Amino acid sequence: MPRVALFDPCYMSALRPGDINFARHVLETLGDTVTLLDGRCCGQPAFNSGFRAEARATGRQLLKAGQPFETVVVTSGSCTAMVRHYLPPLFEGRRAAGAASIASRFVDFASYVAAHPNLGRLSFRLDGVVAYHDSCHTRRELHASSAVRSLLSRIEGLEVRSLAHEEECCGFGGTFSAKLPEISVAMMTSKLDDVAVTGARVLVSADYSCLAHLESGARGIGIQLEGWSLAELLSRALS
Amino acid sequence: MRTYHERASREMRLERPSATVTPIMRKLVNDAHAMLARGPLDARQRAANARAYAIDHLDELHEQLRAQFERRGIGYHRCATAAGAAAKVAELLGDAKRVAKSKTMVGEEVGLTHALRARGMEVLETDIGEYIVDIEGRGPSHITAPALHLNRTRIKEMLERTGIELEDDDPVRLSRVVRDAVGAFFQDCDAGITGANAVVASSGRITIVENEGNVSLGASHPKLHIAITGIEKVVADEAGALAILEVLAPSATAQPLTSFTHFLADPLPGQQRHVVFVDNGRSRILRDPRYREVLKCIRCGACMNGCPVYRAAGGLSYGSPYMGPIGAVVSPLLWPDGRYADLPFASSLCGQCTEECPVGIPIHRMLLDLRADAVKDHHVADAKERLAWKGFAAAFGGATRARAATALTRIGLRSFGRAIRPPGPLRDDPRLLPDPSLDHNPELLTSAAARRDVIPEAAIAEPPPADRAALFTQRAAQLGVTVASSAEPRDGDSRLRATAAIASTGSVLLTGEAASRRPILAASRVVVEVDRTTIVAFPHNLQDYLGDGDALILTGASRTADVEKILVRGIHGAEEMVVVLGGEG
Repeated sequence: MPRVALFDPCYMSALRPGDINFARHVLETLGDTVTLLDGRCCGQPAFNSGFRAEARATGRQLLKAGQPFETVVVTSGSCTAMVRHYLPPLFEGRRAAGAASIASRFVDFASYVAAHPNLGRLSFRLDGVVAYHDSCHTRRELHASSAVRSLLSRIEGLEVRSLAHEEECCGFGGTFSAKLPEISVAMMTSKLDDVAVTGARVLVSADYSCLAHLESGARGIGIQLEGWSLAELLSRALS
Repeated sequence: MRTYHERASREMRLERPSATVTPIMRKLVNDAHAMLARGPLDARQRAANARAYAIDHLDELHEQLRAQFERRGIGYHRCATAAGAAAKVAELLGDAKRVAKSKTMVGEEVGLTHALRARGMEVLETDIGEYIVDIEGRGPSHITAPALHLNRTRIKEMLERTGIELEDDDPVRLSRVVRDAVGAFFQDCDAGITGANAVVASSGRITIVENEGNVSLGASHPKLHIAITGIEKVVADEAGALAILEVLAPSATAQPLTSFTHFLADPLPGQQRHVVFVDNGRSRILRDPRYREVLKCIRCGACMNGCPVYRAAGGLSYGSPYMGPIGAVVSPLLWPDGRYADLPFASSLCGQCTEECPVGIPIHRMLLDLRADAVKDHHVADAKERLAWKGFAAAFGGATRARAATALTRIGLRSFGRAIRPPGPLRDDPRLLPDPSLDHNPELLTSAAARRDVIPEAAIAEPPPADRAALFTQRAAQLGVTVASSAEPRDGDSRLRATAAIASTGSVLLTGEAASRRPILAASRVVVEVDRTTIVAFPHNLQDYLGDGDALILTGASRTADVEKILVRGIHGAEEMVVVLGGEG
C-alpha cells in the first residue's frame, strides 16, 4: 500500500483535537501506512479575507510538507478545495507548475476512502440516526457529496436523514461569520431549524467547520446537538 | 450608512426582509430548476456561448450594428460615462415633458430617472414594481422584482401615500390600481423609454422581454422611443438572442418565456427610435481577464434568488443599483472608487450563485479576486486587521510555531471560551465559542426523535407529449390560454394570424403588421390562428420564421407578479387569449 500523509487541518487541531485519530484509524484499517501532517494551514482564512501574500506564505508550508507523499488525505473538504483550486494560482511561473503538481495529490477524506481498493473488505456497523449536512465546499467545489453518501450508506444499522434545503449554506464561511455575524446567525438559525425537524441529535458532515459553527449556535440556543466528522462516524462504526 | 454591514444589520433589525424574501425565493428557485429541466438540456451552454461570442467580438458586432441601425433609421449612440448617457437621453427627449419609463437596470445605473426629473421632466416608472418602489424612494431591491422586499400591507401603505384609496390589500387590486394609473399616463405622454435585453448585430433588431405590456406601450409610442442598455448587450444574430431567451425567463421568474418578447425593427411611421449604449467602465472590465466574463451577464437575477446572504439581508443592503452576488461583483467594478469595495465580502462563498448562473459566470471566484483587490487598494481592512494577518502568516511559517499557536488557541477556548461573549451591539449573537475538550456522546445516536417534516419526493414528471401540437396545447393551457379548433367572433376581438408557434413554451410568433402592439393591447380578447405545421419545438428553432421586420412572441396573457410574486393576469392587455389551431392534423 502506498505511503499516505494525513493532514490535520489547523482549525480541527484547535477545535477538535484528537479527531484526526478517527481518520487515522479508518485509513490504517484500510491497510495504509499513515504519516501525520500537522502544524500547517492551507491559507484559506487569509485568502478569503483578500490577503493573498499571507495565504501564499502559509499555504507554501503545507505544500512543502506534502511534497514527499503520493497522496495527502485531508479531513476537511474546504481545505482540500483551497489547496486544489486556489493555492496553485497564487504562485507564478515555474513555482505555479510545482504547486499545481503537489496540490493535485491532495484529496478529501471522503473521496479517498470511497475510492479505496480495500474498502470492500471493511464492514461498518453503528445503530442509530444521524442527519447529514452537505457542506458547500464538499458539494460544489469538490463534487464529493456522492462519495460521502456512498460511505454513509455502507454503515449498517444507521439511518441517515437528509435536511430540507440541504443546498443552503450553514452561514459559517470562515471570517464571514465574524465579519457579518447577524447574517451568519440568521443562516445558522435557519439550518438549525432544518436539523431540528429531522429529530436527529447527531449531525454529520465532511466539513467540521460547519459543524463547529452549528454546534456553537445550538449550545447557545439550548438545542441538544453534536456535530460528528465523517471520520469519527466511520471509525466508531468500525469498532 | 457607509458599509454593507451597517446597512444589512439595519435592514435586518427594522425591515426583516428575510420573512418576505426567503419563502418566495426558495419556491422560485425550485420552480426555475423545474422549468429549465423541461429543456432543451443544452440551453445554458448555448446561452453561455452566445454571450461569450458577443464579448469576444464586441467592437466588430457594434460596427455591424451601426450599419444595420442606419439601414433601419434607428439612432445609434454610445456614451462613455453614466452622466454622459443621462445627458444624451435628455438631449434626445428634446422638449418632451411627460416621459413613460419602463424597467431598465442600466437606467438605474446611470441615475436616469433622477437626472431627467432634475431637468424638469415628469418621469413615470411604468413597471408596477418600479412604480411602487419609486414612491418608497429607496430603489429596487431585486433585479427583476423591484418591490420584492415589500409585502402587500406595505405596498398598500405606499399607494395610499399618493392619495389612492384602497379597500383592501388584495394583490389583484393593488396591481390593477397601478395599471390604471400607468395606463392613463400612457394616454398622454411625449416619449417612451425602455431597456433592452439584447441587440442583434446582424439585423439591427432590439430584443426586449416584459410581462405587463408597459414596454409594448413605451416602444410603440407614436413619436419617440428610446432604449438604453449596456454596450455588452449586443449579440451576433437572432440565434444568439433566442439562445438567451431560452434561459432568461426560466432562470429569472420560472416562466417559459415572458408574456411579450419583442424584436423591434424599423421605427413606426412618424416615430423616432434611438438606442443609447452605455459604456461606464465596461471597456475597462473587458480588458481585465479576471473579470471580463462578468459581461456575459444577462441580468436574470438567478444568483440572488439562490443566495442565502441576499435572502437574509435583502437587496437594499447592498446600497447599489446592482444587488445580490452579481451586484457584489459588478458594483465595485463599475464604481472603482471604493464605495462598493466591501460588497464582495457579503458572501459566505458557498458557491450557489455560480451554480445558478445560466451563462456560467464564476461569480464566487470573482468575489475572491475582488476581495484581494479591495485589500490591495486599501479600501478595506484597517491597520489592526493587516497586522493580524501578518501574524497569522508568521505563526504558520513553521510547524513548531504553528503547533504552539494551535495549542494556545485550544487552551484559550477551554479556559475562557465560555466566558467570552460578543461585545455590546452583537449581544444578540447566541453562539458560544466551542469547547475543544467536550467528548461526544454516542448515546445521542440512538435517542433520536421522529422526523417532523416530510421532504417531498421529486415528482416524476410525465413524459411530455411527443406530438408538437399536443405539447403546444398542453403548455399554452398551463399559461391560461384556450386552445380550440375554432372561436366564435366577439366584439373587441383582435384576430391575428401567427407566423409560427413554439411547442415547449406554448408561445405564438406574430410578425409584420400582426405584431402591432397597441391594437393587441386594446383588444378585450386576443385570438391567434396557428397553423400546426408551423409549430417548432423550442425557441431556438424559431430563427427561420423571424423574418427581418417587426416581430413579437406572445406567451400567455399580459401579467404581473410584482406583489409578493403572486400572479395577476390582464395588465396592459387582455386577460383572455385563444389560439385557434388549424392546418392538417
